[in-house]
Amino acid sequence: MTLTQFAAKNVLRNKFRAVMTVLGVAVAILTFMLLRTVTSAWTTASDFAAKDRVVTRHKITFLMMLPKRYIGQVRDIPGIKVATYANWFGGKDPKHEHEFFACFAVEQSYFDVFDEATFPAADKERWMQDRRGAIVGDVLAAKMGWKVGDKVTLESGIYRGEWEFNIDGIYTTTRRSMDRSQFIFHWDYTNDNAPAQVKDQIGWVISRVNDPSHVAEAGATIDKVFDDRDTQTLSMDEHAFQASFLGMMSTVLKAIDAISLAIMVIMMLILGNTIAMGVRERVSEYGTLRALGFLPKHIVTFILVESLVIGVLGGVLGIALSYPIVERGLGRWIEENMGSFLPYFRISPVNAGIAIALAAALGAAAASIPAYRASRQNVIDALRRVG
Amino acid sequence: MSNQASAPLIKLRGLKKTYTRGDESLTVLSGFDLDIAEGAFEALMGPSGSGKTTLLNIIAGLDRPTAGTLEVAGERIDSLGESALAKWRARNIGFIFQSYNLIPVLTALENVELPLLLTSLGPAERKKRAETALRVVGLEQRMGHYPKQLSGGQEQRVAIARALVNDPKLFVADEPTGDLDRQSADEILALLEKLNKEFNKTIVMVTHDPAAAERASVTRRLNKGALE
Repeated sequence: MTLTQFAAKNVLRNKFRAVMTVLGVAVAILTFMLLRTVTSAWTTASDFAAKDRVVTRHKITFLMMLPKRYIGQVRDIPGIKVATYANWFGGKDPKHEHEFFACFAVEQSYFDVFDEATFPAADKERWMQDRRGAIVGDVLAAKMGWKVGDKVTLESGIYRGEWEFNIDGIYTTTRRSMDRSQFIFHWDYTNDNAPAQVKDQIGWVISRVNDPSHVAEAGATIDKVFDDRDTQTLSMDEHAFQASFLGMMSTVLKAIDAISLAIMVIMMLILGNTIAMGVRERVSEYGTLRALGFLPKHIVTFILVESLVIGVLGGVLGIALSYPIVERGLGRWIEENMGSFLPYFRISPVNAGIAIALAAALGAAAASIPAYRASRQNVIDALRRVG
Repeated sequence: MSNQASAPLIKLRGLKKTYTRGDESLTVLSGFDLDIAEGAFEALMGPSGSGKTTLLNIIAGLDRPTAGTLEVAGERIDSLGESALAKWRARNIGFIFQSYNLIPVLTALENVELPLLLTSLGPAERKKRAETALRVVGLEQRMGHYPKQLSGGQEQRVAIARALVNDPKLFVADEPTGDLDRQSADEILALLEKLNKEFNKTIVMVTHDPAAAERASVTRRLNKGALE
């Protein structure tokens, strides 16, 4: 037997209480993992943004549009490898009114800029020739039951009326930088029938630069070109662009973070209460140990180890539970149904690491006061608790 | 081995212990001298509140005198710091409590091994010594048993083995037979006699039981904090 083994033996002294406490910690860690995965999923597109892409939008707000002629001038800027543009269509399937998905009218070069979207070359060729052609993400296609060759009718709040599309291809992605729930079609198709206020207007320009280390300078150069125009631009790298969207959701994300923190504090209090009960029941034993020559630091160590073991066991169990729940059920459902907001809802090893570290740290914190009190207990008073 | 009285192992001079609670102070030990020889088996008797357990606690280094000095084996104990005193107890004192005070989650062998965790001995040597101590008290067949699987007398024998395992000079026993039936009590007292006579261990025992006191070579009586 070693001192550590002796400390660990105390964990299972009251098996029912230990198991219930471990389960309580596990549920807290599971909830923490789910909430952290929500915030991580929300920022996935930003975290995995391409380093060589610049997004250019109206300087005032991305809700205002740019003249289409700007795209030609952007393409002429030295250092710009390729540029394309897109409009927000705001489409929805009238048969599935509550299903939200991102719907973009784009130029044909769109997939040269977003080359992480992959689909068969034959499908791309067909789409290029098909004025009503659409390329949709595989997650969206699976959710809506669409396949190549289907005809789909969408409605738009911006471009009035019903719009018919042919599904020409279904893309997947090689990186997490692109949502797999997008509906992408030709800008020309909508522009020809667009209302006057949006005709020949583009929502934003996306460029790829030759040298990713100069992406900021490229953005500044673009903005300088349009600096003296009536419509000025604001360019930023893709990460910053995604982050500006997240900024609107920052309050929600902060609230989720606060809730996850509160859950961990509740976990610490539950664990602290369990440890305190155990310590109260064992005062005479600590007195015996002190009489035998054990020091206050030994008492503190025994109690801390016990709390740490319970905290870490609960943490490991919580993470073990979160993997099947997220990877085999919840994650797929969220990606299919909320893919536009949470495109990649999976457990990240970083979050698992944070959860374990927090479980251990809060376990130690929970034991600190009972451990301190037990170590300061007068030996004779402690021994008097016997019998 | 013999228990012939020799130079005092324990030397108490002007020993006084007073407890203060608020404005009230209570003198438990009124100031007296006491020598206990090495190899002695002494019983401390007296009515409840006479100060015998307080005297035992001071001798064992669990409590400190308010005034006076305590020497054990030539070493001043009353002036040691908390940490040094704990280490001194671990080396020099074998404790035997009325309620045995075994750790319920440890087996008999692990309970006996417990004091050795504070030494530099390796696991194999610790186990060997714990097994030897349990053999001395006749419990070699119960090494893997937990306290709740043992009778009261067996638990007290495990406690004696735990006190013995560090080979201390001095054993302090506070009502070691208080929770036992007559037969078990006699077995424990016989074991203490064996430790005293065969292993030359000095034993100071607090007891209310005249039959237990008869086993001691010297019986001292305390009354109202003074030695009679």
